[in-house]
Amino acid sequence: MNNTLLIGLSRQVALQRELDVVANNVANVATNGFKRRGASFAEHVIPVARGDHMTSANRKLSFVVDQGTVLDISAGSIEKTGNPLDVAIRGNGFFSVQTAQGERYTRNGALALGPTGDLVTMDGHPILSEQGVLNFTAADGAISISGDGTVSTQQGVRGKLKLTRFANPQVLENIGQNLFSSAVAGEPAGALARVESGALERSNVSAVAETARLVEISRAYSSLANLMQRGDELRRSALSRLAETI
Amino acid sequence: MRALNTAATGMMAQELNVQVISNNVANMRTTGYKRQTVHFQDLLYETLRRPGSPSSDQGTTVPAGVFIGSGVKSVATPRIMTQGNLTPTEKSYDLAIRGDGFFRVQLPDGRTAYSRDGGFELDADGRLVTKEGYLVDPQITVPNTATAVSINAQGVISATLPGQVQPQQLGQIQLARFVNKVGLESMGDNLFAETQGSGPALTGNPGAEGFGTLQQGYLEEANVNSVSEIASLIAAQRAYELNAKVITAADQMLNAAGQAFRG
Repeated sequence: MNNTLLIGLSRQVALQRELDVVANNVANVATNGFKRRGASFAEHVIPVARGDHMTSANRKLSFVVDQGTVLDISAGSIEKTGNPLDVAIRGNGFFSVQTAQGERYTRNGALALGPTGDLVTMDGHPILSEQGVLNFTAADGAISISGDGTVSTQQGVRGKLKLTRFANPQVLENIGQNLFSSAVAGEPAGALARVESGALERSNVSAVAETARLVEISRAYSSLANLMQRGDELRRSALSRLAETI
Repeated sequence: MRALNTAATGMMAQELNVQVISNNVANMRTTGYKRQTVHFQDLLYETLRRPGSPSSDQGTTVPAGVFIGSGVKSVATPRIMTQGNLTPTEKSYDLAIRGDGFFRVQLPDGRTAYSRDGGFELDADGRLVTKEGYLVDPQITVPNTATAVSINAQGVISATLPGQVQPQQLGQIQLARFVNKVGLESMGDNLFAETQGSGPALTGNPGAEGFGTLQQGYLEEANVNSVSEIASLIAAQRAYELNAKVITAADQMLNAAGQAFRG
């Protein structure tokens, strides 16, 4: 009897979670290198009761469960900034960042020099090259980064930015601060990724698409609320009519 | 509802974005001003389902986990230290730096500040000072009898003194460089202060290796590009509106849930 209510509720919980995902995408519409997530849901079929004495067969009930939030690694738009330490990746690859917890990955190439001259992210985490952390002194002068990630200064070539590729990007876990962690080791990106200096990759969140999703979620939610109310009315009127006959 | 708070962080971030853009636009005509940008980062995620965790006892695993993020934060507002255009002013004590380096300015409390604004004047004692009256370091005094003051690309100030045919050298302006000039702290009044992040100042003569040269009679304009600032402003405003829409949607959903069983 309460199935309408419970199934409706399972969908409403799922919709709320989808709204949380959309809200996070929208909040990060201006976050460099941000990759949006999309919610995907699955049908959860409840096993039916089996009884031979019932007049009609018991029907299967489908509830909604959230199955996953799929990472969308499509490229964001690349915007010229003119800052030589801003680098954007074209193609499939991630920068490697050294943190206290180990190697982490990011698409945000807004780099800076730390107080000791290390090449770091805006958080101060050193960015890794194939030769380890890069350190510059005032004698190095202007830093330039070429298309394959080679970092050079007036003192010559200093290293090559480490670019890592993941065959299955769904293994990446968000840990905040624009960083991803991965339990599965990546492989060198090689020729699949090129870097462009003086540019930044913007968020891949599309404002229009997220607005459409927002409307869809909001409408689905209110129509479910409506449906549940109808179910409630149905039961109420059934009870009052049955009571009249007594 | 989490979406409400998430969207609120988005609105706060865009508010900061607009604040920085408006400061850039307000300083479009400020000598030696360097524009700022805002950098954002996503906040912590709640992992409800981890990818790679077993989904059955047959060895199948979850391909994509459930990660719910909690919004955005601003992490840095670095300055873009690119060269601004030089405008001729025809004033003998106006100096522009072409290339890397900052003028050294002695603050009244004895500390040294750094500036790209070379709009200098002479004080009552003939000393070279900024528009605020702070001494330029190293101190240079121009005698009041001096004429035809010229400053060359290397910062050497020379002037003709009465009774002498040869111009006399009065001193040399020095510049300071930093490993990480983005790490300098803005003090207002077009001045920057050295911080732990910028690294120590390296002093040298203009034109020395790595240092820029000076141009007398010119001032460096702000490096603010009005068109790109307006474009950023539009983007920030739209992002703000979009976050506000999420709040409206979350509110409507809460309302629908609240009204479902009004009886």
